[in-house]
Amino acid sequence: MKELRDIYVQQFKTSFASMLQYRAALVIWLIGHILEPLISLVVWSAVSRSSGGSVGGFSAADFAAYFLVLMLVNHATYTWVMFTYEYQVRQGTLSSVLLRPLHPIHSDIADNVSSKLVTLPGMLFVAAILIVVFRPAFHFVPWAMAAFLPALFLAFILRFLVEWTLALAAFWTTRVSAVNQVYFVAALFLSGQIAPLSLLPFPVRLASAILPFRWTVAFPVELFLGRLTPVQALTGMAAQSAWLILSLVLLRIVWRAGLRVYSAVGA
Amino acid sequence: MRVLRLLFVFVRVGVMSELAYRANFFVQLFESLLELGTALAGMAVIFSHTATLGGWRSDEILALVGVYFLVGGAIRLLIQPSMEQLIESVHEGTLDFTLIKPEDAQLLVSLQRVEIWKLTDIVLGFGVLAVALARLGARVGVRQAAAFAAALLAGGVIVYSFWLILATLSFWFIRVENILMIFQSMYEAGRWPVSLYPGWLRFFMTFLIPVAFATTIPAQALAGRLTWPTLLGAAALAGVLFIVSRLFWRAGIRHYSGASA
Amino acid sequence: MESSPAIRIRNLSKTFVVTKREAGLRAALRSLVHRRKEEVRAVDGISFDLAPGEVVGFLGPNGAGKTTTLKMLSGLLHPTSGELAVLGYRPWKREKAYLRQITLVMGQRNQLVWDIPAADSFELNRAIYRIPAADYRRTVDELTDLLELKPLLGKPVRNLSLGERMKCEIAVSLLHRPQVVFLDEPTIGLDVTMQRRIRSFIAEYNRRNGATVLLTSHYMADVEALCRRVIVIHRGRLLYDGQLSALVRSFSAHKTIVVQLGDCQADLRAYGEVVSYEDGRATLRVAKAETARVTGRLLADLPVIDLTVEDPPIEEVIERVFAQEPK
Repeated sequence: MKELRDIYVQQFKTSFASMLQYRAALVIWLIGHILEPLISLVVWSAVSRSSGGSVGGFSAADFAAYFLVLMLVNHATYTWVMFTYEYQVRQGTLSSVLLRPLHPIHSDIADNVSSKLVTLPGMLFVAAILIVVFRPAFHFVPWAMAAFLPALFLAFILRFLVEWTLALAAFWTTRVSAVNQVYFVAALFLSGQIAPLSLLPFPVRLASAILPFRWTVAFPVELFLGRLTPVQALTGMAAQSAWLILSLVLLRIVWRAGLRVYSAVGA
Repeated sequence: MRVLRLLFVFVRVGVMSELAYRANFFVQLFESLLELGTALAGMAVIFSHTATLGGWRSDEILALVGVYFLVGGAIRLLIQPSMEQLIESVHEGTLDFTLIKPEDAQLLVSLQRVEIWKLTDIVLGFGVLAVALARLGARVGVRQAAAFAAALLAGGVIVYSFWLILATLSFWFIRVENILMIFQSMYEAGRWPVSLYPGWLRFFMTFLIPVAFATTIPAQALAGRLTWPTLLGAAALAGVLFIVSRLFWRAGIRHYSGASA
Repeated sequence: MESSPAIRIRNLSKTFVVTKREAGLRAALRSLVHRRKEEVRAVDGISFDLAPGEVVGFLGPNGAGKTTTLKMLSGLLHPTSGELAVLGYRPWKREKAYLRQITLVMGQRNQLVWDIPAADSFELNRAIYRIPAADYRRTVDELTDLLELKPLLGKPVRNLSLGERMKCEIAVSLLHRPQVVFLDEPTIGLDVTMQRRIRSFIAEYNRRNGATVLLTSHYMADVEALCRRVIVIHRGRLLYDGQLSALVRSFSAHKTIVVQLGDCQADLRAYGEVVSYEDGRATLRVAKAETARVTGRLLADLPVIDLTVEDPPIEEVIERVFAQEPK
């Protein structure tokens, strides 16, 4: 247990240090992150305006709220493990990672969380600007607020496990980027990043609910915005939990299989 | 003429560099198709809820997507790789090899690297444009086509000059690559008409980071929405920026050579 | 009949302004507000001429001003003061007619395109220098022959060894048959065999084509093999300009033996002048004629783990030789 804590502490220190080093890159990164929700927001506001003020239950202000919260939830849940593992396989450094006594997922989690904590002030700053400029409309529902944090936490773990398992594709093929691309495009549509899921055609919504995508991003967002009934919220968290268990199982299977494949190739 | 001959030689080098990596063609094709698919699907979702977007009809937005891919492909084919190589060569000192050649250095650095597989983006862009033109049909005549060509040319010169100015900054500053990233992010915004964005952003995207000239204005020309003043303004800006970038480049070289100002 | 010099330098100087940075947080913060600038005289009033067809070695330790001088000669840097003319041109104007007649080879820096065969990089230069087809073919054949390039030209440059790459770099820089060839540390990092190959190539090329060659190096061996005349530069100033043979006599008077001994405490003074002796590693200075004999005795008498015989480093020689000379 002490080892675990040490790893997390160490990772935090490293992330802080490197963030401070690359300040300019950080500012650029922030600008890129303002643009994402901004573009979607602007486009959908235009849609709502040309449809008489609202589209599918979303006014321009509602869209602003949606994409703002989406940006924050996305930031809280996103990972970059797929890129990391592809890079490590290409550089040949994966072997040294595997030789460590502790399961590599721990340092990945620590890296993820610490980087996000460091960049959180920047994100909040961006959020503040967006609020001032676009005046989003929030409908705060107390119980939904209370349920939000656990749902967000579940979403984070779920997304991490799913993407980490997918990252292991690096054991089987060097063309992991192709796999990554497909996943990201799917995530774009199915987790509500292009548009709120309620605006997408039924087949897409169905796929999103069956696959873990809805539960990794869209669900916490909808919860925060107070757009779900208590029943829907409970079902949602149940779906999250179910997927969590499923993904843990999948992870173990893929991990073991991956190790076998990797060592068979001669690392 | 000379420029074309040199361009041909550099394209040849680019093609040969990539021939060893044929798989990259399929990777690029896959990525481009995925990107295009995403853009079209996004469009489909939006137009399932509305008939017009900021006054633009779906076939006009399609034309914009086509221009976005076409121009984006051209930038990623020649402008971006060459400017990135320029920045690298300033830091590593290999720019000396370019400066010692009996040829205009700006010409050499602007053509020096060709990412040949980005042609897929250009081809896809043309394909989308063809479809859009079919749908726009009768509304596109010779005037619109001429305006489109002129707007594309002006946009190309503006984007090139802008990138050259940014890359020339590397004579004075070290981490210029980061600034280039801003253009990437802002170019994404060019997938939608500039008129959608709030005033301050529109200004930013037109005069500070000239995305509007790269995508919206040529698309406007095709849709018959381009006014004379705008086209003339774009042409004038292209001329001015080209001259400014050349002067800035010369200043950069003087600084690099330690010439007293 | 005296022909005008190919290279003419009078009182050439180059001063760089650098910002002075010190370590520590306080200094870093201070530098945000007030930057201390310092002038560095990289080249300090040097003068010399090169006749057409001469091969001259430009010798000096790192940071002596060799590369800076070469960059001024090739037009890459503007001189701060002084007169400078190459083939009658002012290099810093970078006129195309001038650039067509010179070339610069820099050791450790490549102009060849990495992923394609060297032959295709040749084609690139052919287009840029506008070399007529017949001349190009003739030159490529000659260079391929002299540098043994035949097996190398078809391979992508990244697959070549360091030495093979250097040969191709030299070849590509000579395609346009320049009259003046500047070589900046061309043999650095190469193994001894390759160094010799390149030296003999340069000598042969100069013999055949009469090109003026200015070669910088901090290897004595480069200069010994190629140049009758050598110019020594140190801290931006010329220390010596004259026949190599005279310099060689001072240089080669001594050799340095570095020996790593096993567990023993020996008095090495009997073998030669002891420059240093620490942790079993001794540096001895012996007269050149004595080198073989002393080496043999060391190997016979003592538990030697490792032994190398080296030329004294240039810095040491320059300090010694010119500190002794009354100026």
